[in-house]
Amino acid sequence: MRKQIFFAIGLLCFLSSFAQNYSTLAEQQARIQNIVKAYPQLATVSSMIKTNGGKDIWMITIGTGKTETKPAIAVVGGVEGNHLLGAELVIGFAENVLKASGTDSIKNLLQKTTYYLFPNMSPDASEQYFAKLKYERTGNATSTDDDRDGRLNEDPFDDLDGNGKITLMRIESPIGDYKLHPDDARALIKADPSKGEKGKYLLLSEGIDNDKDGLFNEDGEGGIAFNKNGTYKHKTFSPGAGDYPASEKETRALYDFLYDAFNVYAVISFGSNNNLSANDDKATSIVSDLYNKVSGLKDAPRTSVTGGDFLSWAYQHYVRYSFSTPGWWVPKSKPDTAKKEKAFTVEDPIANYLRWSAQQGITDVFTEWKTIVHPNFSDQKVEVGGVDPFVLINPPYKQVADLSKKHTEFLIKVAAFQPEIDLMNVKTESLANGLTRVSVDVVNKGALATHSKFADRNYFVKKIKVAVTVSDKQSLVGGKKILLLNNMEPSTKQSFSWIIKGKGKITIDAGCPTAGTKNIDISL
Amino acid sequence: MKKIFIYTIAFFASASAIQVHAQSPEQIFKASGTPANPKVIVTWNRYYDHGGITEICKKIAAAYPDLAKLQSIGKSYDGRDLWCLTITDFKKGVESNKPGMYIDGNIHSNEIQGAEFAMYTAWYLTEAFGDTKFIQELLADKVFYIIPSINPDARDSYMHKPNNSSSPRSGVKPIDNDGDGLVNEDNYDDLDGDSHITLMRRKNPNGRYKVDPRDPRNMIQVGPDEKGDYELLGIEGIDNDGDGKVNEDGYAFEYDPNRDWGWGWQPNYIQNGAYKYPFSIPENRAVMEFVMKHPNIAAAQSFHNAGGMILRGPGGAEDVGTYNAQDVAVYDAIAKKGEELMPGYKYLVVYKDLYSAYGGELDWFYAGRGIYTYSNELWTPYLMFMKESTRDPFDNTSYSFDRYLLFQDAFVPWKEYDHPQYGKIEIGGFKKNFGRAHPGFLLESDAHRNMAFSIYHCYHTPKLSVTSLVEKDLGDGLTEVTAVIANSRIMPTHSSQDVKNKIERPDYITLNTKAKVVAGMLVENADLNLTTEQKNNPGVLEVNNIPGLGTVTLKWIVSGKGPFTITIDSKKGGVVEGDK
Repeated sequence: MRKQIFFAIGLLCFLSSFAQNYSTLAEQQARIQNIVKAYPQLATVSSMIKTNGGKDIWMITIGTGKTETKPAIAVVGGVEGNHLLGAELVIGFAENVLKASGTDSIKNLLQKTTYYLFPNMSPDASEQYFAKLKYERTGNATSTDDDRDGRLNEDPFDDLDGNGKITLMRIESPIGDYKLHPDDARALIKADPSKGEKGKYLLLSEGIDNDKDGLFNEDGEGGIAFNKNGTYKHKTFSPGAGDYPASEKETRALYDFLYDAFNVYAVISFGSNNNLSANDDKATSIVSDLYNKVSGLKDAPRTSVTGGDFLSWAYQHYVRYSFSTPGWWVPKSKPDTAKKEKAFTVEDPIANYLRWSAQQGITDVFTEWKTIVHPNFSDQKVEVGGVDPFVLINPPYKQVADLSKKHTEFLIKVAAFQPEIDLMNVKTESLANGLTRVSVDVVNKGALATHSKFADRNYFVKKIKVAVTVSDKQSLVGGKKILLLNNMEPSTKQSFSWIIKGKGKITIDAGCPTAGTKNIDISL
Repeated sequence: MKKIFIYTIAFFASASAIQVHAQSPEQIFKASGTPANPKVIVTWNRYYDHGGITEICKKIAAAYPDLAKLQSIGKSYDGRDLWCLTITDFKKGVESNKPGMYIDGNIHSNEIQGAEFAMYTAWYLTEAFGDTKFIQELLADKVFYIIPSINPDARDSYMHKPNNSSSPRSGVKPIDNDGDGLVNEDNYDDLDGDSHITLMRRKNPNGRYKVDPRDPRNMIQVGPDEKGDYELLGIEGIDNDGDGKVNEDGYAFEYDPNRDWGWGWQPNYIQNGAYKYPFSIPENRAVMEFVMKHPNIAAAQSFHNAGGMILRGPGGAEDVGTYNAQDVAVYDAIAKKGEELMPGYKYLVVYKDLYSAYGGELDWFYAGRGIYTYSNELWTPYLMFMKESTRDPFDNTSYSFDRYLLFQDAFVPWKEYDHPQYGKIEIGGFKKNFGRAHPGFLLESDAHRNMAFSIYHCYHTPKLSVTSLVEKDLGDGLTEVTAVIANSRIMPTHSSQDVKNKIERPDYITLNTKAKVVAGMLVENADLNLTTEQKNNPGVLEVNNIPGLGTVTLKWIVSGKGPFTITIDSKKGGVVEGDK
């Protein structure tokens, strides 16, 4: 049964993979509108806000019936504007899961779980991929004085070789700290003075020191980056972070929605941060195990959060389970023995990418180093070249459909771990003349705790409420009418009992938005 | 001219039925330091709700169009205007080119007198302007931005709904405080219907309290070998939702507007009272946007109550290093004067002397914007008998003060009540207008002292001038021009936190000349000829800071001859032309 579903999803993915390149914003919007229009019972879309660049931030809700009453997963893409894959994975999930929604298992899933999808949090920045001048932009359209000198955008990148891409420039210099990679002269690596190595090149981003302050490209169009604008360890005053946390409309719109979405128990985002390939937290290692199994991705580069990031916000400040993955990275290449290649003597991401991409038959991703005349280095040799922007963090588009399928499977299967409150072992004992003791076990059947560890004492998390309702002909002689519990660990129970005088129906309710609510009626 | 105004006021006064006829000018003898015949008559021994504030602000702006302008900087959650009075001599200079002093009050709803203190400042500056040379000079140089209440919704809630002296602290945006899924389901209950939330006590042979023999209204704890006859049941209320807790989720505490600012912000589970993210409360957002649009604000005061304190940050120990030595010296110099001006007030540091508080307003103003900011905690029990005492309900001072000076107007006498959960109890205690708010007769005097401190604070924002401009013929048609720029006040143009983080752009010092500027440099030491050249755009030299009570020296080499003049353009130090 399961297999058939995934086969079906795979088939649909295949059918929808006509596109040859990442979707522009207009294409993203069209895909979202199309899929929502096709499944109006299961999906709605709304624009949460327009960015300063006038771009919509879309939110898709997928679920059945009263979606706000069911435990939910938030899925976020475009966490970084240069990571085009993120939006593809989120929109791809919407397409895949809705197209498979005729199957029993997806029907059951959407009865039980709500998905809130935010495909692209960086629409101002991601459009740079399609612009005339391509560079990896993460900042939105907000004007920023990145070097805080009182002048706006006075030193942007400059396309010195006129190829429409911002790459690197290497300058021959006696104080250079880079040298050529011993196995691939197209790549440069840092010279290690402790090993007696001497550098030959300065390595800078492509451009001119337009404002003659000794720095290159330090204040271009800039903007505020969504993944630096968050409230957790915000790096106030640093480029792209903003003068204060959550300064941007799109950041606040997402926070505002999520803070009021008490039913969200997990946030899964796509961006440079990765806590799914390796996860130190025992409470959630089942989730990363599932990810590694389903995605089949290996050898993930270590990442560390930088402050103001969304992954940390969702865990530390929104106090929900929070997971993030780049969704893809350049695989470790193997030397092609047929070509008499040898293993690299020095590990280097650029050299690795060049070898891997060649083996994949990917062409036109490297600009050969070419000498140019540079106004700031009139008597030095300056060459412009290097790997294209975007290609190190976004796979060739033809791989996206398969990645989308795998991530859809992950997002479906992870819902099986959802915390779930249930009532069990209901017992009534008659004590004496119309006096009854009612006992019940409240259990969390899920594989995740009902609340993450920071959820105590927080306005924005609802506690587990266990309440007994008696009629006005009955009275509660023993036990508490309402009890609030901060958390229930997975596969645990708590027992409660009440003494009630009087006959007739009583109701016991237990639950919370992140784990669902159950109730039972008991006749005394 | 003056007479016409007075007649007009007299006319309005007689037109309004409640107002008693004002005295005629001949009958008035001026008390020193107080406007004797103000155009805007305000009684400063009582409090005003938002409607009252609105009216006073409008009157001040209407009476003094050349000194006061009124604007709404935004709306509160419930749609009230956040009124801001801009006070300066609009006939002299451009407002945005003058160093600014920002004053607000009432961020905490029950801490009401900040609004009156702020309004008194605006009133005094406008009314005293006519015959006080110091005020004329001050308003020629400086601008005040005065927002009496940055929390008007809950100010009205405090005054018009049942409350005690500590409630509500927050604004009115509803919160589910206890996380049970219901919002404001268990408020205080004004059981005796007097709009004061007081205390509940119950006779109990096992109780650990007794009536205080010094004042029968007071309850005191009995000693270990004593027997009590009362128990205290807490604040007036009922367990409305049957969860076994009384008053745990109501309007009295939703969130804390002073934990909502963009420096060192921490979430709710770390910092109780924090809302969703910095500036997630609409009133604070309006203030933040106003401050961002007014980079000339160099100094700020945010009035709170109570305790008689001149507070500075940091709010958290993590920020001890943020308040670096140079800036602390500025804070110390001004606040020490404040201790002199306001007897009973002590200069303290929040995290060390009070408690840790993250995301407070004064931390954002200082660390986030580089503005030297204090929070005065208005009203101190010291003012009751002009000696050290406490606000502790078990300190007899409050009861004595109420008995002998307020004639028991501040207390609700204990009265029996049949409580649905506690049975036969008694309700009584101090009214909400006592304990934190000034009693009427002390309000004006303390408002004046706090205003004097704000004026001193504002006076010491930078005052820049060109003290020397020397030309030297270097031969070959070249002239060397050296200028010394002085700042004669305590505050630098950039606090050291500002310099460190480049919060505000440098000061621009322009040599105005028709001749060609060949080179420009900052002179570090004129005697030893130490200079640093600015290669780009040498005609406009960029200076990171002009220190308080200090100078900077600049030098230009010009091809040609004078005349030369200087323009100093500093965001927080003002725009000054000089040609000495």
